[in-house]
Amino acid sequence: MKFLRDWLDHRTGYRKLTFEALYENIPGGARWRYVWGSTLTFAIVVQFITGVALMFGYSAGALSAWESVFYLETQVPGGWILRGIHHWTAQIMVPLLILHLMQVVIDGAYRAPRELNFWFGLGLLGLTLALSLTGYLLPWDQKGYWATKVATNLLAAVPWIGGSLQRLVIGGADYGHQTLTRFFALHVGVLPALLIALIIGHIALFRRHGITPKRPLRGPDAAFWPDQVLRDAIACVAVAGAVLALVWWRHGAELTAPANPAENYAAARPDWYFMALFQLLKFQDWFERNLPGGGLLWCVIIIPTAVATVLLMMSLIGRWKVGHVLNLVLLWAGLATYSVLTAMAYWHDLYDPKHAPQFRTAVAQANRDAARVKVLAARTGVPPEGALALLRDDAQTQAPRLFAAKCASCHSYGGRDGLGLALKDKQTAAELQDWGSREWLRRLMDPQQIVQAHVWGGTAFVTPPEGEERGTMADYVLEEVSKFTPEQKAMLDRVILAVSAEAQLPAQAEVDTRDAGLIEQGRKEFGESGLNCADCHKFRGEGSGKGPDLTGWGSREWTIGIINNPADKKYYGRRNDRMPAYGVKGELDPRQIGMLTDWLRGDAK
Amino acid sequence: MGGCALAAPIGAVVVVLGHPLNAKGGSLLVKLTTLAALPIGEAPRLFQVVTGRRDAWTQFPANAIGAVFLRRVGEREVTAFNASCPHLGCAVEFQAARDAFHCPCHDSEFGKSGEVRGPSPSLRGLDRLRVEIREPDEVWVHFENFKTGIAQQIPTA
Repeated sequence: MKFLRDWLDHRTGYRKLTFEALYENIPGGARWRYVWGSTLTFAIVVQFITGVALMFGYSAGALSAWESVFYLETQVPGGWILRGIHHWTAQIMVPLLILHLMQVVIDGAYRAPRELNFWFGLGLLGLTLALSLTGYLLPWDQKGYWATKVATNLLAAVPWIGGSLQRLVIGGADYGHQTLTRFFALHVGVLPALLIALIIGHIALFRRHGITPKRPLRGPDAAFWPDQVLRDAIACVAVAGAVLALVWWRHGAELTAPANPAENYAAARPDWYFMALFQLLKFQDWFERNLPGGGLLWCVIIIPTAVATVLLMMSLIGRWKVGHVLNLVLLWAGLATYSVLTAMAYWHDLYDPKHAPQFRTAVAQANRDAARVKVLAARTGVPPEGALALLRDDAQTQAPRLFAAKCASCHSYGGRDGLGLALKDKQTAAELQDWGSREWLRRLMDPQQIVQAHVWGGTAFVTPPEGEERGTMADYVLEEVSKFTPEQKAMLDRVILAVSAEAQLPAQAEVDTRDAGLIEQGRKEFGESGLNCADCHKFRGEGSGKGPDLTGWGSREWTIGIINNPADKKYYGRRNDRMPAYGVKGELDPRQIGMLTDWLRGDAK
Repeated sequence: MGGCALAAPIGAVVVVLGHPLNAKGGSLLVKLTTLAALPIGEAPRLFQVVTGRRDAWTQFPANAIGAVFLRRVGEREVTAFNASCPHLGCAVEFQAARDAFHCPCHDSEFGKSGEVRGPSPSLRGLDRLRVEIREPDEVWVHFENFKTGIAQQIPTA
């Protein structure tokens, strides 16, 4: 063994290197406050290892980035843990960097002759933030897409070259494949290479100048090994433990719905450590009005450059005692401002009564989409057009939006607008959540209920405009049904069962089968003299055609037809109230009408 | 000498990395809806811009590439705004309660005619797009994106 070690040492000189590494003198002995640099080195090593492993499964492209991350998260065993560790280590690096910076400034470790090394450290801080920013986009999900779009638009604020810089970074005029290939190249190639170069310089210079001890010294000098090594190791274990706890608690890293350029993610926010800058941008107009040069220039260029300059200058002015005190004041003031801005940004999103409800709705909607697209992708696999196509063709995703946009100005869905928000306009047409069901018909046929807003109360059939007459159906319910004998009422209910059975609702399949006898009886009673339905309605080949044809009422075909054109003579004809002919007028295409119908009827799975 | 030897590879790198500087964008004429779908005097409504598009090597079939707010202001007169906020490119929403467009990112606010309202970070109003009404009642829009963060409405390409 000794022979082998001698052989190796003769060729590499490793003994001297190890000795230098382990037996560096620490004036005053080991202390906890010196651990931050080591924890950061540890975190960077973790990022390199997990990052390279992630590269094995990641595919940079607008049609494959989200998809490959989804696959890694859900199909590859341990994938979510790997990505979770990479994500949460990046998160935890920011506070570690701040602590490291604070320790260096407070202890005066930036003073001559260590200025250059202090600047290396600041360079590493900048590189870490750049790595975070570029990494945020790579999953190509709604959150990363919309937040990074703002970030790259900020590049345009750079004087003279801003526009070109922006194009170079995003790989063209718009976001697309080449935005991802470029961000990927920056994230895994350019920035890590620079990081390694700076770290080598940083650690080499640190070794050259030695540690700057906290005065007064606590005890006798000691070597790095073993006491400080133990402390550093414990700190690294604590960091690793915190990362794993976060991974476990949050179940890895978030993956929102695939990026959709046409659908804003209103809750898109940068990562928490950029929220102060995000908040600053809300005050842009103040800078615009009160300072020369333009608000954006102040928020994006002048203030961040000033902060960077102050940080860079610290090591120069710190050589004087008063300069050091000034640095401490600036450091604490800077941290306080940063914290206040960050807190303001979160308060505004989470608690500001004017804004928080909107923000929460956007988050809820985004979570719904994300959950839904993952269900679909897991069920059928992702088509070659990408995961976004899954959501685009999904009734459960699109129909509530269509309902809110097109139907909710008159109708309601469970008393709301389809997306779960309160109705914006006065309800003038029927509730549609249970469209096609027996309950829906029973409400309509009930003299007490038909006049209510969520049935027909707001329609011209029940409350006609001045000078016009009430509809025949409303007359029938209000004047005749109200006087029905118990026998007639029972007959009416069987007819209701029969008409509702036409809808063939999935949710009613069981009871329709159970009540087959009653339904058959109801079909026969439709035209009987006790009810006279057939005087106005066609039903299964009988009756007159003045009112809507009730054959197939509420079925998929019938519902598509009435959305397509309610004024068709099969439906309301010229008696149609205000319902637009969505299909005929081209406001909804057949695919959209189909999705709305499937969702209303509960056919959408 | 060493510099000369590196000239070719460095040149190739610069040319390849710099190619997006010449990328052409330009406006795209798309049909969004019909006049019948836009009652006069109603609040602005959002329409997705769905069109085929070339992104580097992929020719996308009809795909959403942006969104436009349309409002009918006259018999055959429609105003169109790109839904992208001129401040920094988030998508604005129309809030009926405030009768205004609002940006959920940095709180810029715009009136119904697109003008900046109150203290807003945005330096200009919403970006108006050219509208063409084609027989019989089709609403076509010249869709394009504009540079953000400045007071003038300048196309990105």
